[in-house]
Amino acid sequence: MIVGQQKPFDEIWEMVKGFKKVLVFGCNTCVAICHAGGGKEAEILTSLLRMKAAQEGIDMQVDNAAIERHCEPEFFEPLMEKVRTYDLVLSTACGVGVNFLSDRIGAIPVYPGINTTFYGAVPEAGFFVELCGGCGNCVLHLTGGICPIVRCSKSLMNGPCGGTNNGKCEVSNETDCAWFLIVERMKKLGTLEKLFEVQPPRDWSTGTHGGPRRISVEHIRAFEEEEEKNAATEGR
Amino acid sequence: MADVAEATEQTRVSTTEKPHEIPDSWQPNVLAFACHYCAFAAADLAGVMRLSYPPNVKIIRLPCTGKLDHIHVLRAFERGIDGVFVAG
Repeated sequence: MIVGQQKPFDEIWEMVKGFKKVLVFGCNTCVAICHAGGGKEAEILTSLLRMKAAQEGIDMQVDNAAIERHCEPEFFEPLMEKVRTYDLVLSTACGVGVNFLSDRIGAIPVYPGINTTFYGAVPEAGFFVELCGGCGNCVLHLTGGICPIVRCSKSLMNGPCGGTNNGKCEVSNETDCAWFLIVERMKKLGTLEKLFEVQPPRDWSTGTHGGPRRISVEHIRAFEEEEEKNAATEGR
Repeated sequence: MADVAEATEQTRVSTTEKPHEIPDSWQPNVLAFACHYCAFAAADLAGVMRLSYPPNVKIIRLPCTGKLDHIHVLRAFERGIDGVFVAG
């Protein structure tokens, strides 16, 4: 899932203080799981903003709302009319949600309430770790299911650097050395010899270095088009 | 699909307290959230025993203090409560 962290309150206040009618708009999927921007967090942030506005003597209406997802248009439908009545939408969805709403809302600013940080997992409640870099060219079959792109601080592809220290990374002793984990894991799997194969320099254009990425699933799009056509014919 | 898309929204019910002069006779307004099974029962017993407590403490009975949500505390502060007491 996508993991983010709420921006510092003072930074949020600086963003919103010039607006009269603000909607704090939460997303109840990934960012709700990481306690950053779900409906509950949006409600709490709304209350804090109201109190700050009262303290500063600023007349400001701050309301909150939440939908299940900010990354699919259907979920916006029940609320869009109301959302368009605000001067500012402070979205606590991930960056995807902020972009997606900005594209649809018209001439109303959508500001981010959280810092979208990584694709991660939840090993224990309240703790989130980055496990995938979304590089667009997966090599996990070569590395025992441990990602060297994002779990190695240097994204090394052919073994550890000289900074590996008793299984920890030189960047921080709280960070495991990914290559130590990979070697141990591959020993366990009996596939250590795979690591003797030298990986050539990577083509990073499949990642964010190649510009915005798009995926088109043609058979789904063709099916949807067909359905629309059929509906139109039946309508006639 | 529209019926699948659920939305929640909070209508504006808040009457946020505005900053004002603090009079000399000021007493803090305290809201007590009390669990039905222990703290509220204790308050009830205190009443039966004719023990008095200051009138600026108002009690809200909860089925359990596990029911207390962040927003209950924040709304209390928003509306000018000076202190929140959670007992359970």
